[in-house]
Amino acid sequence: MTFKSIEAKVDRGEPLDFADGVALFHEPDLLALGQLANRVRERLHGDKTYFNRNMRVEVTNVCVASCLFCSFAKLKDGDPGSHTMRLEEAWAKLEARMSDPPSEVHIVNGLHPGLPFSYYEDLLRGFKRIKPDVHMKCFTAVEIHFFAQHYGMDYETVLTRLQAAGLDSLPGGGAEIFHPDVRSRISDDKATADEWVEVHRVAHRMGIRTNATMLYGHIETFDHRVDHLLRLRALQAETGGMQAFIPLAFHPDGNGMKNLPAPTGIDDLRTLAVSRLMLDNIPHIKAYWVSTTPKIAQVGLRFGADDIDGTIVHETIYHAAGSTSPQGLSERELVRLIREAGRIPVERDTLYNVIREFPRSALPEAAVKVRDRKQALHLAIVN
Amino acid sequence: MAMNDNFSSLRVAAVAYLNARPLYLPLAESPHHGGARPIEMQLGIPSEVARAIAEDDADVALMPVAAAATLGDLRLVRGIAIAANGPVRSVVVVSDCPFDAIEDLALDLSSRTSAVLARLIFRARRKGGEPRLVGCSSSDAIGAVGARRGALVIGDPALMIEGKFRHSLDLSEAWRDITGLPFVFAGWFGRAGVLSPDDEARFRAAKAEGLARRDEIADAYAHQANLSAESVRSYLRDSLRYDLGDDERRGLERFYEEAASARLLPKATVRFFDDDRAPRSSTPEPELDTLLSRAADGERLSAAEGGRLLNEASFFDLGLAADAIRRRKHPHNVVTYIVDRNVNYTNVCTTSCRFCAFYRPVGHPEGYVLTRDQLRSKLQEVVDAGGVQILLQGGLNPDLPLTWYEELFQWIKTEFGLGLHALSPEEILHLAQIESLSVRTILERLHAAGLDSVPGGGAEILVDRVRRKIARAKCTSDEWLGVMRTAHHMGLRSSCTMMYGTVDSGADRINHLIKLRDLQDETGGFTAFFCWDYQHEQGTHLPPGENGTFLYLKQQAVARILLDNIDHVGASWVTQGPQIGQVALRFGADDFGSVMFEENVVSSAGTTFAMNANVMEKRISEAGFRSVRRNVKYAWLSEPI
Repeated sequence: MTFKSIEAKVDRGEPLDFADGVALFHEPDLLALGQLANRVRERLHGDKTYFNRNMRVEVTNVCVASCLFCSFAKLKDGDPGSHTMRLEEAWAKLEARMSDPPSEVHIVNGLHPGLPFSYYEDLLRGFKRIKPDVHMKCFTAVEIHFFAQHYGMDYETVLTRLQAAGLDSLPGGGAEIFHPDVRSRISDDKATADEWVEVHRVAHRMGIRTNATMLYGHIETFDHRVDHLLRLRALQAETGGMQAFIPLAFHPDGNGMKNLPAPTGIDDLRTLAVSRLMLDNIPHIKAYWVSTTPKIAQVGLRFGADDIDGTIVHETIYHAAGSTSPQGLSERELVRLIREAGRIPVERDTLYNVIREFPRSALPEAAVKVRDRKQALHLAIVN
Repeated sequence: MAMNDNFSSLRVAAVAYLNARPLYLPLAESPHHGGARPIEMQLGIPSEVARAIAEDDADVALMPVAAAATLGDLRLVRGIAIAANGPVRSVVVVSDCPFDAIEDLALDLSSRTSAVLARLIFRARRKGGEPRLVGCSSSDAIGAVGARRGALVIGDPALMIEGKFRHSLDLSEAWRDITGLPFVFAGWFGRAGVLSPDDEARFRAAKAEGLARRDEIADAYAHQANLSAESVRSYLRDSLRYDLGDDERRGLERFYEEAASARLLPKATVRFFDDDRAPRSSTPEPELDTLLSRAADGERLSAAEGGRLLNEASFFDLGLAADAIRRRKHPHNVVTYIVDRNVNYTNVCTTSCRFCAFYRPVGHPEGYVLTRDQLRSKLQEVVDAGGVQILLQGGLNPDLPLTWYEELFQWIKTEFGLGLHALSPEEILHLAQIESLSVRTILERLHAAGLDSVPGGGAEILVDRVRRKIARAKCTSDEWLGVMRTAHHMGLRSSCTMMYGTVDSGADRINHLIKLRDLQDETGGFTAFFCWDYQHEQGTHLPPGENGTFLYLKQQAVARILLDNIDHVGASWVTQGPQIGQVALRFGADDFGSVMFEENVVSSAGTTFAMNANVMEKRISEAGFRSVRRNVKYAWLSEPI
């Protein structure tokens, strides 16, 4: 499989196959790979680069699953460090932001065995009461699967009840690596690949849009990554319900795989590029800057990515660090990152409707603060 | 002068040499002429005149043709030049041995037009081609003539030594013998559109007046320089020609072609101010793709071409061109790194740079000077880790005399045997100042005490307008370059750097690179180039300008393209982070810098990335390269792994 023949396929708009994908991951010429992915990205989106104003809430870190890659694995209620929010506590997060409200609330949690299902329904309703038009992007397929098992319902019933309470779309987390050789070793006690796919299939059938992710850079091989991408492409061919694909770089600190090195900048960019090239039927590829560092995410905007995620994570990090930096600064920083990459910043809502298109470039604004990958660790893992 | 005049005045620069006087003197003498806009005249040596155009301190300059090619994309006033058709007398190679027997040639390599002409003549006239070039100041060239060593002598000294050496080759005459064409030394150059037809007419009128006054100019000069009036009159009347007609144009075009194909100058085209006013321009801009492939082929590009690449070329195209150059210069797919330690011996500093969070003013309670005990434990760690050198830099601390450094260096050498990559030009100048000694003496004494090489820090942007804004108390560009020139002439090697992203523009950064390239042409003393953007964090007092990861990668690629005479480019992972450091290896870098035990200056500003040797090797290998440890001269210390 030569690079040239793959390039020809891409230019003809033909889908790439398994061997193509593996060859691309092994391609030594990083810039040639990036350039090819960039061509597809620009064909689809020109210079437009999306971001949104979202906020992130984790109502509980109590979890029955014991994923090797997760630093919060198997916390029980009452364990030191475990925390489950009272509903008012969760809602207060949005209330505190109402002077400059986000367009999206993104909720991802541990698999808590002791909460009633109504807790989640009330949670959603409460947010909608505060801001009726806020978009609730909540609960990964792994959580939906857990709800179905734990509360004795099928996926459709779970989703229908949540939708009635205010759920708008599903995030893409919990996909990890689908291939059983890997999944059985890193997270054997939560939704399987087929179950993850089935949750999304049901959601799509109900008109609920979703995202998808892949946690890479741990024990998986390039073959496993390509297999993962092809499973997503097959699902998308069936339903068309996925909006964005988000590769997540594995972080080795404080979890069961801490002896592994973190993925390199090269691998981050390569993975974005191959994802863009393989997933010809998923519209958006997101360079999730929390997982790769803002610098790599920014360069990623030339390696196939057309979305740099939202402002929220920023704010959470500041919050965790006790900082009082205004939220608006983070939006400025995102806009600056995008512009500096020579792209056009576009603020979107969760469903990729354009809220605001920014002019292409402006005078240099505030500096982008570079944060250590480590600081952003826990958010990357649970997206 | 009223504000209005400032806006409309024409800023003219000219080389203050005798042969230029007939062209600029009438303009300088009557800057206010009828209703025409007033002229602001500045006179200087060729590098100053070229700098004035490069940094937009002058609109038009009477400057040498090689300097114009280096800047690129300039226009000429039609009809006016300093040229010769046959012997010129003021550009000669003298020797005691026959021309063919010259093994070394002493010359001032900063006089680029005559240096390039000399090299082309040697290449064309001798089987052996060029002699070994020995760079020196132009005043030292004559004294350097030896048994097999000739000298290139230019200007007044050439007129003074006529008949004093057994052999003398007039280079303009040799040029005509080879090409049958006149040689053009200089002309009025400027950027497109800066002159109106009226302005051009004024330059022609000045020329006519100047030519009519040649004898008067010659006599005044002869008197002042103690030369024979007859000889100087004849020089201005008979040797020089001031026309730029078809023959001269062909001569200049031929020179540009030959110099470009010998890779001595960027490829330049001869264009006139009035070409742009013609209905259809006969020489369209070259395609960006052509420029990129010339860059990837390793051709020398002009400042204007470099600026165009920085502004217009795509991210990937720049990376691919820089990568192609890196591969050709370093064909073994190897990336080097060094195990050393950055030791900041003092943080007391008098310069108050606005981008620096590390320094403390004199008398500040947090000021320190490292004690021998502190140094001993730091240096022992370097030795224990297999380190080969230290990078020793500090603030400008007025309490530390030269002897303090001499004793320190001797002690480090005796006790630890480590290489000393020490004291940036700013620190050398500071020592020269507090000791009232010359830079050369300071360097000689430090060298004798153990100094091995000079780090290239403190260069920031070598454009004084920028330096004044970000580091008022720091040395000028010329001073910085002067220290490096002196060090290189003594045989010391150095690195060079660029810190950008404050108040600098793309043009400033290109000018910075060209200044480094010019000095490297003269001395060959730079080993490597590193660049990074200003790290705006706590403790710095300067808002960030044009910076960011994207620009960093593009800027480094453009540096790799322009700095065709510097062997190595290093990735600055300390400022950019290891991930971007890896990507930078595909944007022209072939070195991953230093395994840093500590680095206080950048980390005071909030950026801290640390790496040990194993991680370093791993990072390099993950980026697709073999790694090898090097010393400060970039020699491999083992086989690549």
